Amino acid sequence: MNKQSLIYTIVFTFAVCFVFVAILAVANDLTAEQVRQNQIVAQQRAVLNAMGISYQSDEEVLSLFEDVEQDEIDGTIVYITEKDGNRIYAMSFRGSGLWGPIVGILAMDSSLENIFGIEIISHEETPGLGGRITEDQWKEQFRDRPVPEGSIEVVRGGSTGDGQVAAITGATGTSNSMERILNNAMQRFRELLGGRDA
Amino acid sequence: MSDTAPKTVGGILTDNLWHSNPIFMQVLGICSALAVTNLLTNTFIMSIGVIFTTMMSNFTVSIIKGLIPRKVRMMVQVLIIAFYVIIVDIVLRAYMPDIHEALGPYVGLIITNCIIMGRAEAFAQSNGPGLSLWDGITSASGYMGVLLVIAFFREILAFGSLFGFRIMPNWFEPWIIMAMPPSAFFFLGVIIWIGKTIMNHEEAAA
Repeated sequence: MNKQSLIYTIVFTFAVCFVFVAILAVANDLTAEQVRQNQIVAQQRAVLNAMGISYQSDEEVLSLFEDVEQDEIDGTIVYITEKDGNRIYAMSFRGSGLWGPIVGILAMDSSLENIFGIEIISHEETPGLGGRITEDQWKEQFRDRPVPEGSIEVVRGGSTGDGQVAAITGATGTSNSMERILNNAMQRFRELLGGRDA
Repeated sequence: MSDTAPKTVGGILTDNLWHSNPIFMQVLGICSALAVTNLLTNTFIMSIGVIFTTMMSNFTVSIIKGLIPRKVRMMVQVLIIAFYVIIVDIVLRAYMPDIHEALGPYVGLIITNCIIMGRAEAFAQSNGPGLSLWDGITSASGYMGVLLVIAFFREILAFGSLFGFRIMPNWFEPWIIMAMPPSAFFFLGVIIWIGKTIMNHEEAAA
């Protein structure tokens, strides 16, 4: 057969595409359930992290998460847990970062004047720059951070006071986005829980 | 260069790691060399992905090269490369979600790495599967070696750490520019300079 002929070229190209894409489709299908499971665990892990609940394994995540109360207020799921006699509320936030959406969990105490913790679930920020929002060193700044004005400010340089966290070096865009996203999330928190008895 | 080089296992090794190193001699794959080298961990994982993809795509292209019509050979090579990259992506997403998360967009970026296409076209199209596999591993290792050197200096200067562990003293003021992609050009330039100088000496001596 002439391997340079038009017919052979078309048939060959079609066959090659068909075979490789078919394998990918099967692989994707076989792992779909596992991926879905991973996403559920990732979401639950993020909620636990934001609430400062520690765990060792994915199994422990699933069992610990059963103790977390879930309340749907106005279409938004609010996670509630009791810690050292205080109620801690957590909910998802989502907003646009520098390159794409940033999704995560924000946990606050019942007075809504302290951030309890944050966790990032997904983002598309520049790896090594804005991508450092997922590093513990940055996220830990939010642990028990009082926000007396009801908003957070991302500041350049080292020292930070109430309502302030340090910006990420070389990632001003992402830092500013996080400030906006978290302030919106806190606003939403107040709308959802403001009328409720703490 | 690969036309004159001996097609032996050892010859391919020294060629790909040194005499025809994809980064500092052929200056291929520069976009990823700039983008990923500000942290050693990212560089390392990305390089592993490149090694796997180059190796497997070289191997596959070599096996079916006799069947590929000339007109569509590059399209078929891209298809094969994309296939392996997506396989890596699927496997990581399902079984190593943490690593998948850390790598983010890098996995997809492997497709655009011109070294992989370059090796498929320059080597696998005209050599047997075994040698092509070996060529893929060594070629991507040459890439990995240079990237790790660049990342080593960039991470220390930009963040004062290595593989995420802080090693510089507290008074150390990080160089912000080193976290930015263009700073890799400084080190790339120096590496090419050193490499060429040594090679010229070798030639003069020979």
